[in-house]
Amino acid sequence: MREYRFERPGTVTEAVRRSGSDTAYLAGGTTLVDLMKLEVMTPGRVLDINRLPLRGLDATGGGLRIGALERMTDVAADPRVRLGYPMLSQALELSASGQLRNMASIGGNLLQRTRCGYFRDVSMPCNKRQPGSGCPAIRGENRMHAVLGTSDSCVATHPSDLAVALAALDARVQLQGRDGVRTVNLCDFYLLPADTPHLEHDLRPGELVTGVIVPRLDWAQRSIYLKIRDRQSYEFALSSAAVAIRREGDTIVEARVAVGGMGTRPWRLPAVERALAGRPATSNTYAAAATATVDGTRPLRHNAFKPELMQRTLIRALLELEQTR
Amino acid sequence: MTKPAEVTRSTTGGIGESPLRPDGALKVRGEFAYSSDLWHEDMVWGVTLRSPHPHARIRSVDLTEALRVPGVHAVLTHQDVPGTNRYGLEHADQPVLAVDLVRYHGEPVALVAADHPETARRAMKRIKVDYEVLTPVSDAEHAVHGDGPRLHRDGNVVRHVPIRRGDQNATAPVVVHGVYEVGMQDQAFLGPESGLAVPAEDGGVDLFVATQWLHVDQRQICYALGLPADKVRLTLAGVGGAFGGREDLSIQVHACLLARHTGKPVKMVYNREESFYGHVHRHPAKLYYEHGATEDGRLVYVRSRIYLDGGAYASSTPAVVANAATLGFGPYNVDNVTMDCWGVYTNNPPCGAMRGFGAVQAGFAYESQMDKLAAALGMDPVEVRVRNAMSEGSTMPTGQVLDSAAPVAELLRLVRDRPMPAERGELDLRAMPGGVSNTTHGEGVVRGVGYAVGVKNICFSEGFDDYSTARLRLEVLGGEPAATIHTAAAEVGQGLVTIEQQIVRTELGIQQVTVHPADTTVGNGGSTSASRQTYVTGGAVKAACEAVREKLLKLAVTRFGEPRANLTPAEIVSVLGTEVIEETVEWRHRPTTALDPETGQGFAHVQYGFAAHRAVVDVDVELGLVKVVELACAQDVGKALNPQAVVGQIHGGSVQGLGLAVMEEIQVTEGKVRNPSFTDYLIPTILDTPPMPVDVLELADPHAPYGLRGVGEPPTISSTPAVVAAIRAATGLALTRVPVRPEHLTLEEPR
Ligand SMILES: Cc1cc2nc3c(=O)[nH]c(=O)nc-3n(C[C@H](O)[C@H](O)[C@H](O)COP(=O)(O)OP(=O)(O)OC[C@H]3O[C@@H](n4cnc5c(N)ncnc54)[C@H](O)[C@@H]3O)c2cc1C
Ligand code: SF4
Repeated sequence: MREYRFERPGTVTEAVRRSGSDTAYLAGGTTLVDLMKLEVMTPGRVLDINRLPLRGLDATGGGLRIGALERMTDVAADPRVRLGYPMLSQALELSASGQLRNMASIGGNLLQRTRCGYFRDVSMPCNKRQPGSGCPAIRGENRMHAVLGTSDSCVATHPSDLAVALAALDARVQLQGRDGVRTVNLCDFYLLPADTPHLEHDLRPGELVTGVIVPRLDWAQRSIYLKIRDRQSYEFALSSAAVAIRREGDTIVEARVAVGGMGTRPWRLPAVERALAGRPATSNTYAAAATATVDGTRPLRHNAFKPELMQRTLIRALLELEQTR
Repeated sequence: MTKPAEVTRSTTGGIGESPLRPDGALKVRGEFAYSSDLWHEDMVWGVTLRSPHPHARIRSVDLTEALRVPGVHAVLTHQDVPGTNRYGLEHADQPVLAVDLVRYHGEPVALVAADHPETARRAMKRIKVDYEVLTPVSDAEHAVHGDGPRLHRDGNVVRHVPIRRGDQNATAPVVVHGVYEVGMQDQAFLGPESGLAVPAEDGGVDLFVATQWLHVDQRQICYALGLPADKVRLTLAGVGGAFGGREDLSIQVHACLLARHTGKPVKMVYNREESFYGHVHRHPAKLYYEHGATEDGRLVYVRSRIYLDGGAYASSTPAVVANAATLGFGPYNVDNVTMDCWGVYTNNPPCGAMRGFGAVQAGFAYESQMDKLAAALGMDPVEVRVRNAMSEGSTMPTGQVLDSAAPVAELLRLVRDRPMPAERGELDLRAMPGGVSNTTHGEGVVRGVGYAVGVKNICFSEGFDDYSTARLRLEVLGGEPAATIHTAAAEVGQGLVTIEQQIVRTELGIQQVTVHPADTTVGNGGSTSASRQTYVTGGAVKAACEAVREKLLKLAVTRFGEPRANLTPAEIVSVLGTEVIEETVEWRHRPTTALDPETGQGFAHVQYGFAAHRAVVDVDVELGLVKVVELACAQDVGKALNPQAVVGQIHGGSVQGLGLAVMEEIQVTEGKVRNPSFTDYLIPTILDTPPMPVDVLELADPHAPYGLRGVGEPPTISSTPAVVAAIRAATGLALTRVPVRPEHLTLEEPR
């Protein structure tokens, strides 16, 4: 680990004022400290934001507002989330381990970095870590890597489960920087790698994530987060799906669908949503809609199974959703 | 100074009982002192600079910048190794620090000692090594037969073991072929490599370290340091698991070198990533098999070729090769066998000892073949096994006759006849494939059942002088007879110290037994491997008890004026008075012989252990998820000295086999380890671990102390193939490689 200065700003304005190109905010530290030990991230100054008033979960006026420093465990357990937006609770509970969820914050979760092994190994080239150095994953170990949104520069998967569920819910991210506050759509917040994979999101220098807004969606009560992984628990997604359905009788009126483990960012699937809307809630409909996922997938040597697995994941998520209540 | 944990006194209980282990409560409470907890007032910290390349020439090493870092006490390279810069368990082929060539990703190149671990690491990063990167040799089969570079002076073959017995041209009406692969498994012990080396005034060094075999470490350290044995003294520190991964050296020579250079105590602790580079792994293997049988399912011949990737250095590859070869046909009667088994040098991480030691790789292949044969014959898989099962009196492919119990058929019947676990009834999602991840309420889920049986040699083989030493002291303390037992045998978590105490209590009829910390002030205890410690060190402890009792009974004649067969504790007190009886005994098991280098014939193994498994799995065939519902095991242990420890070993071995079946693999691409963390190298969680009912047979082996049979390894062998057989039964897929992952179930063609 490199030497760094540790500071503890007391207010958001102070934090934002103190931050610069060489600083990193510390929330739960479960990503940051790990990557600092590996020297993948080498900030000269670490700003501990845990004293900032970025806590709280607010459900007044419909929808949710979740403070960036709320812990994953607490948000998952909150009855308003659990009952109103089950896919959010589930995405959180199926992430990491109990110990990690107790430490990890919502803001930090959205900004966690990829698990690509080359990104984490500073002795290897990696365009995301060192722009222009190359991407060994494209020809190397790429089983866990993305098939959607990839480029010739980077094929890394975005690892957050929570972000997938939030993408399906049209969530917005609240930001505060030196130039004031702004709110951006979560789906636009994440950038595609293109030829600049080191730019992962639309976060200006020094800007803080202050919270996440989940717009009111009453029918999200009928939603699910399904996760496929290499062991029963405590592992990142090989494939996952967040699905919400609004039904009238046997007809699907509206749907929200996003997938994880597949894309370089959380991946919303509007084509699948369209293919579901107005159709009967039958397995035929699900299967037909799922075929809309394969457009634009670019499988690699070791993840050629992913497009097919994505379809099966989606179909299953739709079936499982029927079983809930 | 924090010293190794005092875990040596325990409760009561002789053999056949299950007394509480003295270290158990401490470990559960987090109070047990592991080797990584060692501490000395003015100690400094040592770190290792390792090669980032699997194969490279070292053009130059520049230490200037590293030496400038304030707080640095020493920066060492191969030039600072005073003795011979080579070590190794069987061949001394591995440099203590690389000279002009690195042969694997993670090979040690230089050492730094500094007053803080972080300072040491920073200085380490300032060492400039100029590498000329070479193409790595990464395919074992090609390394043997291909025309690639030779990695060591004698070529790329560490050892080739052939077996030829019976008709080499035998034919049969029913023939099945198969090619199988086993991935590289890690021991995944939780306590990373660590220890503390303390320089002594006599110019020697005292090393406290977590290891499996103190004396073989001592021998290698002496050789590298150029010191006599009395100047290198080792004491076992608290060991957090081993499974074979601590049989080779890690920090031992490095810490001693640094201690002698700095004149200060040196502590070294690997982090998890370094631990993956710092110990050997299970050999990945490619195995070719052909089984020929009669139409009623009797084996006529088996032919096999096995390639075990030993990686950059020999480690225990020669012995692993012998095991894979001699055990490579399984516990089946077959007259005509042909085997060629190779252990190979490549630029992959070095591989060596891991629980099951060559028998695991072969076991996956020959058991897969038995299922294939059953399918070809339209026979029940248990029936085909039973029909060919070895029994006492059977002849191994080495010509060795099994001269004690070999209840192969009985073990298979025991697991087969067990009641099946309940069908999925009341929905407990934790019991479903995918667990609580919302993947299913039963859709896509198919149940499968699979069987396997395996064989493992117990103790060291092929003429090795395998012995252990026990020193026993009997005296009166606080008005009670008290014994102290001293051996150099390593307790690595398996429960040896409990067993030693149980033996002394039973043999001497006393209660108070203390186990002296294991160190090199007593003779060699041999390795804690090959399932041998209860057998060999247990045998030595028993023999020491007998020697002490003989002296005691002689004293009793003087005291009582007549011979006595047995003495009560009160009588022992009155006989002993202030006298102390101390006896040191070296104990050996019966000798074995070498294998004939052309035919592989010989009395190679002392004892064989057998276990059988039945695996019941639920597979979500659409999503490729597996849940092992139950993993039943039956094993013959000769005599259960500590029944609870026996079941613990069987459970542990079974789960390690399950891990290899469905998730555990070190990914190596072009010689580089790609997943050196417990986030990326997956081992089973408790949700992956099924109920594991166990049947224990106790068929005494007349050659072994108390009739016991080594327990630790056999269950690791049959577990993997049983789980995979069950997945095949559920999916109809061929599944020729472990670990089996979701994509193998969703994408593979049906067989
Ligand atoms: C072993 C392991 C397994 C895991 N498994 C999963 C999994 O299955 N699914 C999953 O989704 N995640 C998983 N994770 C990731 C985990 O969820 C994240 O590490 C965690 O959510 C990060 O939150 P944190 O508060 O600890 O972030 P930190 O480590 O404190 O910060 C992460 C990054 O975000 C920045 N940051 C933090 N807060 C803010 C803010 N408010 N404004 C601006 N920048 C900020 C930091 O500077 C840093 O760059 C796993 C992690 C580990 C270590
Ligand atoms: S996939 Fe992206 S993160 Fe991984 S090595 Fe390539 S550029 Fe780096």
